[in-house]
Amino acid sequence: MGRGCATALALVLFFLAITAGEDDRVSDLLRRQAGSKDGIIELDDTGIRHLAASANRPYALLVFFDAHHLRERSGLKLDELRGEFSLLARSYIKNNAGGSGESKIFFCALEFQRAQASFAMFGVNALPHGRFLAPGSGPLNASESMMELNDMVRSAEGMAAYVESKIRHKVGAIDRPPLVSRNQLLLVAAAAIVAAPYVLKKLLIEGKDTPFHNSKLWCVGALLVYFFSVAGGMHNIIRKMPLFMPDRNDPSKIVAFYQGSGMQLGAEGFAVGFLYTVVGLVALDHWKTGYEIHGYLPRGWL
Amino acid sequence: MEDRSAADAAVMERGKKIGSTGVGGGALVSGSGKRAFGTVLAALILCLIGIMAFSIRLFSVIKYESVIHEFDPYFNYRVTKYLTKAGIYEFWNWFDDRTWYPLGRVIGGTVYPGLTITAGTMWWILNAFNIPLSVETVCVFTAPIFSSFAAWATYLLTSEVKGRGAGLTAAALLAMVPSYISRSVAGSYDNEAVAIFALIFTFYLYVKTLNTGSLFYATLNALAYFYMVCSWGGYTFIINLIPMHVLLCIVTGRYSSRLYIAYAPLVILGTLLAALVPVVGFNAVMTSEHFASFLVFVIIHVAALAHYIKRVLSPKQYSTAVSFVITFGMAGAAALIAILAAMVAASPTKGWSGRSLSLLDPTYASKYIPIIASVSEHQPPTWPSYFMDINVLAFLVPAGIIACFLPLSDSSSFVVLYLVTSVYFSGVMVRLMLVLAPAACVLSGIALSEAFAVLTRSIKYQDLSESAAVDSTATLNSTNENEASVKEVKDKAPKRGKKKTVEKEVEKKRKRLLGLPMEASAVGILLLIIMGSFYVVHCVWAAAEAYSAPSIVLTSQTPDGGLHVFDDFREAYAWLNHNTGEDDKVASWWDYGYQTTAMANRTVIVDNNTWNNTHIATVGTAMSSPERQAWEIFQSLDVKYVFVIFGGLVGYPSDDINKFLWMVRIGGGVFPHIREPDYLRDGHYRIDSQATPTMLNCLMYKLSYYRFAEADGKGYDRVRRTEIGKKYFKLNYFEEVFTTQHWMVRIYKLKPPRNLVSAVKSKKRTQKKKTTR
Repeated sequence: MGRGCATALALVLFFLAITAGEDDRVSDLLRRQAGSKDGIIELDDTGIRHLAASANRPYALLVFFDAHHLRERSGLKLDELRGEFSLLARSYIKNNAGGSGESKIFFCALEFQRAQASFAMFGVNALPHGRFLAPGSGPLNASESMMELNDMVRSAEGMAAYVESKIRHKVGAIDRPPLVSRNQLLLVAAAAIVAAPYVLKKLLIEGKDTPFHNSKLWCVGALLVYFFSVAGGMHNIIRKMPLFMPDRNDPSKIVAFYQGSGMQLGAEGFAVGFLYTVVGLVALDHWKTGYEIHGYLPRGWL
Repeated sequence: MEDRSAADAAVMERGKKIGSTGVGGGALVSGSGKRAFGTVLAALILCLIGIMAFSIRLFSVIKYESVIHEFDPYFNYRVTKYLTKAGIYEFWNWFDDRTWYPLGRVIGGTVYPGLTITAGTMWWILNAFNIPLSVETVCVFTAPIFSSFAAWATYLLTSEVKGRGAGLTAAALLAMVPSYISRSVAGSYDNEAVAIFALIFTFYLYVKTLNTGSLFYATLNALAYFYMVCSWGGYTFIINLIPMHVLLCIVTGRYSSRLYIAYAPLVILGTLLAALVPVVGFNAVMTSEHFASFLVFVIIHVAALAHYIKRVLSPKQYSTAVSFVITFGMAGAAALIAILAAMVAASPTKGWSGRSLSLLDPTYASKYIPIIASVSEHQPPTWPSYFMDINVLAFLVPAGIIACFLPLSDSSSFVVLYLVTSVYFSGVMVRLMLVLAPAACVLSGIALSEAFAVLTRSIKYQDLSESAAVDSTATLNSTNENEASVKEVKDKAPKRGKKKTVEKEVEKKRKRLLGLPMEASAVGILLLIIMGSFYVVHCVWAAAEAYSAPSIVLTSQTPDGGLHVFDDFREAYAWLNHNTGEDDKVASWWDYGYQTTAMANRTVIVDNNTWNNTHIATVGTAMSSPERQAWEIFQSLDVKYVFVIFGGLVGYPSDDINKFLWMVRIGGGVFPHIREPDYLRDGHYRIDSQATPTMLNCLMYKLSYYRFAEADGKGYDRVRRTEIGKKYFKLNYFEEVFTTQHWMVRIYKLKPPRNLVSAVKSKKRTQKKKTTR
């Protein structure tokens, strides 16, 4: 009887200790989350071990694998991804503050230099990489579900959909800062209002010799728009094409012309757009002025 | 035919005015005989251009047969058939219950009626003359006929801008520009076929009004705009481009009463007329696509007032008045802008419909509207698209732009603005290349014609220029020196005072007559002719090979040089028509909705109208679900037959398996339990043994590959170039009822609910159904 009581007591105490430990960890995480600027908790080897190892962890972790020395590689777009990840984290924290979703998931980042052992433990040998650690899942291993950081899940919205499917809890609206902040907008509006009388006066009273009346400017503008469009500039913006990319077979070389239809690289587009535009202009130069046509052929030929 | 004679009449009329800039731009051509000859020649050339525009589009009929093409044309054909049978009033009130089951669709209020009414009228006239052509034949040839009209309209527009020579060149270019051919071959019976003519003709009338200041043309312009509104949603391009041009004219100090007459009646009459079209209705005043025109309408009145006051007051008084008005007017303007902004912000999509937003913010559609992003013609084009679609015109256009600036007139600035806006929009969406094509033709026509004018002139007046020039001979070496001396003159000119004007005049005279040396001109002409021939060759190739396939009938070359015809689609639709009940519902992906209703005459769940995303997502979800869930979804929609398009046996790449990820995406957009990653292995879409279990168990996979391994023994998919992952399986809820000759269409019937004790629920449902019947 006494022994039974003692065992029960010990068990209760043990669970208490564990839950206390969990509480500690949650409050620690919350504190660190509040302390971080972008809502992401920076972890190192010991930190992740401490937070993630336990078998009955009540919270989920979404880990973003980062490497400062790879940030310069523009092809990986780590900076951009990290920014999106931080947007997700901040939006989640803001939308779920005080609610049931608080401390349901924490957003962490591991930096390669400070957490090499963890990279090895998770078996991460290529970036970008994200890992979702479900609540309560036991010791760390490579079978934890991986977040595909492909085209669909590159944006904060895509990541949010992923998180929602995993933790079954709404992330809420992604709070994306507008491209132009409110103050900048006000500044522009103010400038426009101040400038408007001057411009109007110039247009109405003088009626000529403003930059608006300079047909050469308009001409150059028209040609620029033409150049931009036939170069497939919009395609490059929408598809976020790089100017060129390294050759897959030989990384020291670069590929400027993409083989295959339906896709183009930035430099390629601009080169051909330039050709379209300039050949047109040269043709014009021939027939309009006639001064430069013989520049291309030896004199004896004509 | 009416239009043609109108065009000819216009030619006659213009012939009187511009005799001096006749064909080839011969500046010194004179005499009424020559003028008359020029007019007759121009009319003849226009006739030939019309014939060419018509006949280059007949490759599809010659190579295949006289058949309606693709998807949307089938809907238009069906509507036209209904119109000719039931009459115009029935057509306006038509509620179609054979599509979007069980929702149905109000056809009369949701289609642009221009095309159908045009073809219906043509059919009616022909029948009135006892020419018994079928509706289908009229529909097939509507597009080529209107291409001829479009070429003549281009002639009118361009000759209004830069004279008859440029007009004829532009018309010839437009008659065979590949971009336009792609939408107007015989059989492609779609809105664009008549809309491009309407677009060009509206622009011509606008420019004509701008040049003449005639209220008559202004009224005609509003009517042409009305026809355009009837024909195509692209009319918003006109109602934004013309205000832009008006604004541009005002800002650059080109305001005139002609501009006022060209614009103000168009806005008032045009908007009133546009509101008469049911599909537009109050959108003509409520959506922000039209706001620009009203804003400019206000501005042009302000400008008119300012001009009037300027005339009345002395300059000093005027400047005081302007300062006064500006100071006090700013407050009012700010308030107005605030109200406008509030109004725009209050409307649900910020006043912009999704499709127009995707033009301004090109990343919008790809982010938020998968149903727009999934359509291949909404993709942004790459540079080869331009080469394919406008070919050498891409090189000629910059020259044309500059020619339009030398000198800049109201009409030439309009053409440049048209080009610049359309080339921008074409960069966003490849289908808008069609709007760019006429602009490119107009500007290239101007460039080509000016180039020919300069080159031929310098050959013709070689001697004249020699004697007229002060110190130049036409030989090459001295031209070089000449150039240097001209430059010198230019550099020194500002320093010298009075002599400047004299020298300038001399230089001007010389420049006009200088031209090019004889040999260079000859080479130039030769090059231009080679370039033109290249264009013709390319266009004929594009018309014959690239754009003539009706996509409803496919052909391939057999090894011994023969032709193999794949007519699976019509085979399947005919089967459905003959072997299923009149009121049976047929489900498929939305691409085939129009064809099913038009050819099989069966009720469909979704079609190419894509107006209800949820409904499409339901079908997408069914296709992405396992058999049982899919069966339940289809059963709830009262579907009896499901068909899929399968290209694995013959290697037809645009089949449903290749479109399948879009079904998943669109389905997942509404029903979150469908998740794209479940169908992808490491981010790759595959159907071989590495495919995910979700993929191998979904309905689309099963319906496509059912019994496929029996067909060739290995289950080798010739589109994906791999052996399929799961070869032998049974269908529990569907049974195969028909597979076409080349397996391209596979039709399945839903099995009736099972009559088991465990399936009480479904049993009850069937009983209920039986009793209700």
